[in-house]
Amino acid sequence: MQIKKTLIIVFVVVIPALIFINQAFAHKVIIFAWVEDGMIYTESSFGSKRKAKGCAITVVDEKGMVIHNGLTDQEGNYSFKIPENVDSDLVLELEAGVGHKAQWRIPKQELDSKPSEQDVSSAMKEKEKLEKEPSVLIIITGIAIIFLLALGVRIFKRKTS
Amino acid sequence: MHISEGVLSGPVLASGAILALAGTGLGLKHIDYDRIVHVAILAAAFFVASLIHVNIGPASVHLILNGIVGLLLGLAAIPAILTALLLQAILFQYGGITTLGVNVVVMAVPAVLAHYLFLPLIGKSSTLTFLAGFLAGFFSILFSSILLALALWFTDQNFFETSLVIITAYIPVMIIEGIVTGFCVAFLLKVYPEIIPKRKKCK
Repeated sequence: MQIKKTLIIVFVVVIPALIFINQAFAHKVIIFAWVEDGMIYTESSFGSKRKAKGCAITVVDEKGMVIHNGLTDQEGNYSFKIPENVDSDLVLELEAGVGHKAQWRIPKQELDSKPSEQDVSSAMKEKEKLEKEPSVLIIITGIAIIFLLALGVRIFKRKTS
Repeated sequence: MHISEGVLSGPVLASGAILALAGTGLGLKHIDYDRIVHVAILAAAFFVASLIHVNIGPASVHLILNGIVGLLLGLAAIPAILTALLLQAILFQYGGITTLGVNVVVMAVPAVLAHYLFLPLIGKSSTLTFLAGFLAGFFSILFSSILLALALWFTDQNFFETSLVIITAYIPVMIIEGIVTGFCVAFLLKVYPEIIPKRKKCK
């Protein structure tokens, strides 16, 4: 009887959640940046659908010295000219509201040279990976892990008591 | 409400980790053998709740559900929330591993408080049961906002301004969580009263 009730609750609570997930925005904060024609372009978002609008971007060098500041536009984009006399990797930090922060590192060599097709391709793959929404399979895996852990605790408690 | 990596200072992260670890130990000790399945159900609900977003005007907020988890589990909510947050960090990249301890404290402490404050109201009448759920949902988010502001304050930010910004941003979440928790508790009391500690039938 209890198993039946548990299954009812799982269906009532968890299954509707899975249905709504396709309409959901991811909660992770993302900044993606690339170099093109002497400029640094950035795209910032929460997952793939919601743009990070009006968020502060701070550019620092490897020593943590602030080199540039800016704000994203309504599309979550921001671009600026590559700062002069920079001799280190650049770290672009996005502050998207209290407690939400993300960063993207541009290696020093990318600032000087034109990116190859391979560089562009790997950067795009990285971007897609960052923006990817959690799939239903991943969510079900997470739920299964929770129940397996509970089973482990139950077995452990049974043995110790 | 998940604090990202790189926001908080080392001492705040370490304190959060120690408190979360102690709380988890305490919570595991208090898990009733027969209620482990309830802990798993509520941890799973908490795990998926962050994926459900509600659009309110230009803003988009997501559910947290720490209120109902705490209300129904008490101290056992701490390991439940820790597990769900850990899986969210690994599988969804929400929050982070280094901020896990602080995130657990921010979400679990108000949840446990809700258990002791509002559980006695459940089962006294339909209205009081809904009210207990609403208050648990509402105040859990409010207390979590204040704890979040405290964590940021210890990392060199202005407490009053930060609190004001966070609490204002989370007001819609407080109301939605209150309503969702209220309905969930009333529903659970009718169809699955065993999940509610100190079970009492609603007249």
